[in-house]
Amino acid sequence: MSLLHRKLQNIVFNSVRSISKLKKRKILQDESSFEVYRIKPKTSTTHNKIYVWGMQETGALGLATSLKVHKHGLTTMKKYPKRMPFGERFEVIDAAAGYGFSIFAVEPTEEHGNYTLYGSGLNTDSQIGYHKHLGIINKPIELLLYPAPIELPMKSPDEIHRVIKVGCGRAHTVVLTEQGVIFTLGNNSYGQCARIIIEDENYLGSQVINRLIPELFENKRIKDIACGQDHTMFLTENGEVYSCGWSADGQTGLGTYNNQELPKLVEGDIKKEKIIKLSSTGDAVLAMNDKGEVFGWGNSEYNQILLDSDEQQINVPLHLKYLKNIGKVTDIAAGGSFSMILNDEGNVFVWGYGLLGFGPNVDFCKEPKLIPPTLFGRNSFNPQNRIISINCGLYHMAAINSDNDLFMWGRNKFGCLGIGHDNDQYFPFKSLVGAKVHRVFCGVDHSIALCKLFI
Amino acid sequence: MISARKSSLRAVSDAQKLWPHLNGVFCVYKPSNLTINQTRFTIISNICRDLNELSVRPPRKRVLIEPSTDCKYLVKTQNDLSDHVLVVGDRYQNCDIVMSGSHNLGKLTSGVMTFGLNRGAKMASRIRDNRPIRVYHVTGKLGKSTESHFYDSPTTAKATFDHVHLGKLNSLLTSLQASHQRKMYEMCGVDMQSQSAYELAIKGPIRPAISNIPLLYSIRCIEYKRPYFTLEIHACNESENYLGILINEIGIELKSLAYCSQIRCIRESHFTLEDALVKRHWNVEALLGNLKRCRDILLKHPEIIAQTNPILENMNKEQSQ
Repeated sequence: MSLLHRKLQNIVFNSVRSISKLKKRKILQDESSFEVYRIKPKTSTTHNKIYVWGMQETGALGLATSLKVHKHGLTTMKKYPKRMPFGERFEVIDAAAGYGFSIFAVEPTEEHGNYTLYGSGLNTDSQIGYHKHLGIINKPIELLLYPAPIELPMKSPDEIHRVIKVGCGRAHTVVLTEQGVIFTLGNNSYGQCARIIIEDENYLGSQVINRLIPELFENKRIKDIACGQDHTMFLTENGEVYSCGWSADGQTGLGTYNNQELPKLVEGDIKKEKIIKLSSTGDAVLAMNDKGEVFGWGNSEYNQILLDSDEQQINVPLHLKYLKNIGKVTDIAAGGSFSMILNDEGNVFVWGYGLLGFGPNVDFCKEPKLIPPTLFGRNSFNPQNRIISINCGLYHMAAINSDNDLFMWGRNKFGCLGIGHDNDQYFPFKSLVGAKVHRVFCGVDHSIALCKLFI
Repeated sequence: MISARKSSLRAVSDAQKLWPHLNGVFCVYKPSNLTINQTRFTIISNICRDLNELSVRPPRKRVLIEPSTDCKYLVKTQNDLSDHVLVVGDRYQNCDIVMSGSHNLGKLTSGVMTFGLNRGAKMASRIRDNRPIRVYHVTGKLGKSTESHFYDSPTTAKATFDHVHLGKLNSLLTSLQASHQRKMYEMCGVDMQSQSAYELAIKGPIRPAISNIPLLYSIRCIEYKRPYFTLEIHACNESENYLGILINEIGIELKSLAYCSQIRCIRESHFTLEDALVKRHWNVEALLGNLKRCRDILLKHPEIIAQTNPILENMNKEQSQ
């Protein structure tokens, strides 16, 4: 009696011949001999994945490990989101995407030397700190291909400051620590680093890291920072705004078009308001208060601040009263030539100039216009879907919906939309990130997403 | 069962009167472990059996001319034996009936499926060309993977699944759904850089222009009893094999393994479970009623046969009504 016959004793079949080969193999299989794979997934609660995409030649993506491959020009851009190995070695708290460089604030660990700040990318103005070649070359590094630690000046060697917020402009970096201490690095030709402008200062290879003294802000504690192209804004805990830097378009909001060297309190319409969020990437600034009202100043050449006015520069904060009918605003984003807001119903409104997300025929929108929610995945199969946060770069926009999917649209410079090609995208489209996106940072030609895995 | 069938068909005792009514589209509930061809053969055989039980056409008459004593010739008519049932076989035979399915549900799948009968056979292929949305209930079992991703083949590997939770499964499914909705716009057949792509996109889900790439519109978990999980999937262009692979990949994404233990199609465009005939009702009497019922559905929703636009009609709204 064969093994098959013995196994089939309890099963009724017409004959052994009528059973297919597949079934015979299944019956004859000894399942207990299989080794069971035991999987222990990570139980970390922080963002444990970072995806990056866009221009890689500057090194801002921090993916390259070989200088040789990089020199051959084989890695110009990443059209698909790539997982960054750096994100698994460190717990990243905050990140910022500048003009060709990226800054990461990480949780200090002893095995990595208690560094809290890492940077990668262009370093022509020492915006990611001073790094020099080893050995006899002894020259400062202009381009970092992989995130390198940035040493912040501390008063004593035991002092460790946990960085909670970072911001990047065109060629400067602003860092805010948990203790409320602010450091600025990089270019200061317009006073964006909140120190006195020095004529013909050489920024390449500069070792200057400016630690701002609390007296500059009248001893108020700073809660948040925001950087435009060449200006910096500081938000205090009670909702006041300080600003410094370039002001040719009035983007400091201080009532002048002159450069501001040291931070100064911004007045105007926001004087008695409690501001909770600031947003700027180019020369226009948007600010939001706790009641959900929006204020704006700076460049308005494309009617991104003022709708029916020929005034192109606004140097005093203005209350944008035309947003009254839109409802309570929950998020803001100011791009290079457009403005974006998100209301409490989860709808996105855009106005200004550029690829706004209304198809290729619409490139100018004079008043806030709703982007159809169906483009963000709200349809009959998923009626509860809404947008929870928005962000934008100079020419492209991003939105995250309640399912944590990332949607991007706009000018696709060097594949910075992460949709698999480098053609412009005229309406919101899901980018190909293979994880749950929690925060997204848009640079001028690259993007960074802090993600969590599904499991 | 047989007596009930006979009693109700007593009103129409002539098979010839029934025959012209056996045209159109009907809907059946195909059990699992039965292929489409087996289903088709069973239904056709049942139709022939039922029709042959009724009074069928009598044999043709034959003219007989014989010499007679009274007059010159005697002309008589007689039953033609060469046309007799016992000589030529049953009046209704399997080859007389044309029947084709609108979609190839796999052998292991059970569920709603439409067939075209006789003159309605072409209608079934029309339904197939219009790419109906089908709704599936697919049950996966965590813990092991099999060769064909279904329950009927040998095991290939085993894994633990203690870390899998409903919340994590749901977050994976929403991401899968979003990726498929993105693919939908790429497959609609227009240039993504054009204004017409935008105008199509703002109207919501659209039907694909290609028939060979599977597309999922919605995927959600409706039951979770570890190690079993049941997904409700709205799909187009899918096949049984594809859904098996999908379950396997979900298992791998969940850092475990999974195979498909049950697969059921509960809806095909507007044909639901209530419209479908179960196997014991595959007879002429029930079929006649079902042909009428399906004709009403087709008249109410002409888009099943001929699409006017690529926008998907709201299926969920109708369900809630």
